[in-house]
Amino acid sequence: MQEQLRSTFDEELETIKTGILEMSKIVEETIPIGTQALLEGDLTVAQKIIENDDKLDALSISLEEMCYHVLTLQQPLAGDLRSVMGALWLNSEIERSGDLMCNIAKATRRIFPEKIPNAVASLLTQMSAEAQRLIALSAEAYLKGDAGLAVALDDIDDRLDDLNIETVEAIFETHNQEQLTLHVAVQLALICRYYERIGDHAVNIGERIRYIVDGWSPERTGAARLTQRGEKE
Amino acid sequence: MNPEITDMKSTNNELSLHNDQKDKTLNRIFEVDDLNVYYDDFRAIRDITINVFANEITAFIGPSGCGKTTMLRSFNRMNDLIPSAKITGNLSYRGANLYDKKVDPVEVRRRIGMVFQKPNPFPKSIYDNVAYGPKIAGNVKKGKEMDNLVETSLKKAALWDEVKDRLKSSALGMSGGQQQRLCIARAIATNPDVVLMDEPCSALDPIATGKIEELMTQLKEEYTILIVTHNMQQAARVSDKTAFFSVEVEEESDSRTGILVEIGPTEKIFSNPEDIRTENYITGRFG
Repeated sequence: MQEQLRSTFDEELETIKTGILEMSKIVEETIPIGTQALLEGDLTVAQKIIENDDKLDALSISLEEMCYHVLTLQQPLAGDLRSVMGALWLNSEIERSGDLMCNIAKATRRIFPEKIPNAVASLLTQMSAEAQRLIALSAEAYLKGDAGLAVALDDIDDRLDDLNIETVEAIFETHNQEQLTLHVAVQLALICRYYERIGDHAVNIGERIRYIVDGWSPERTGAARLTQRGEKE
Repeated sequence: MNPEITDMKSTNNELSLHNDQKDKTLNRIFEVDDLNVYYDDFRAIRDITINVFANEITAFIGPSGCGKTTMLRSFNRMNDLIPSAKITGNLSYRGANLYDKKVDPVEVRRRIGMVFQKPNPFPKSIYDNVAYGPKIAGNVKKGKEMDNLVETSLKKAALWDEVKDRLKSSALGMSGGQQQRLCIARAIATNPDVVLMDEPCSALDPIATGKIEELMTQLKEEYTILIVTHNMQQAARVSDKTAFFSVEVEEESDSRTGILVEIGPTEKIFSNPEDIRTENYITGRFG
């Protein structure tokens, strides 16, 4: 019989994984709340989102330090090494996604007290739902170590990219019809960009999950193209 | 003169054709094909197939009893010294069968030197330790020529500056790390092609270990190095290729045999090994 070793190390790796999933859950839950505050012009909730981001930062820092601790004291190798390095990447991607919701909350304050026209609001709701879905799917892929789902996030993100173009067009059309001030139109266009970036972070998370699972680094494809063209790094 | 040495000098075996040219284009130093080593009926290693490349450090890692030392000793026919040992399969060195009857094992051990786990200097002076091999090989005269060889060997072993003023003092008065570097100097004084190292740092402190490791990376410019180590960080730090050996237990007879699980670039083995058994061993998950 083989004996299971390194129980402390296993617990530490589990703590890191749980922490990453907790961060992801916070972002996933903040997205619809932030969107609702935006559409309803609720400054109290917007302020709460900005303050709550500090909690995400604190969690992020403690997980980062936990990763350094494990790297230093446990000297992980192979799959363990990839899971710790991957967690560091995920940590930064998720933390940044949280910042983007913070940006949306700040934009909510700048838009106040103007109302967002229904046509734009409806599209922003869809963007919010897509961004939330991508973050949820990336967490699912991480939890299950599902490289297939992780890689598919890139394709799933196409919907959010399309919505971004559509929403920005709708914003400027509404502005042209003089139903939106330039100030609000610009803020809304930036908000579109923030949702769209959350989708991109989810795609990056997916790529790093693939690295955790099978060791494939995402930028290899680009580097291979460079070599194929005969250029140097 | 020792008759065995006379015999060695007159041997004109296949190895000679390959050695002195040190043909760098012949990249494969060793080709091991389906090698089995037995001690009486006990099969110590089974069906090992690996290539060892010139000017690389190849590390053998694996749990106790996995046959990595047996494998290392096969490369310079040290197992010949054990009467019950026999091998099947093929082990060629620079294209020539190392176990051919015409090959003289003493000549093999000159070309393929060895450094052991515990530093084992002779109870002689530092100078005489290094001069010993070339002297019995008879190809270096005494005097200035020998002085130069001793100096060069000690320099290559990164020991010269520490001992140049006390070459005539006993080697046994040196620290463990210095003794091990002296053993390396002694091994390279006979102008070998390959240096085998069997856990060379396991009796040394981290600083002495660091010096040996630094030395190894310098030595690989000139020599091909094979190292058995229990220290995986050491394998990761110094080697170009890592081979993971494991033990296979046959349940009925409870007999244990060493097998090669996987060999590959060291970085790959330690970041993304192919075989789950390698992963479990290097991540320390199963004992």
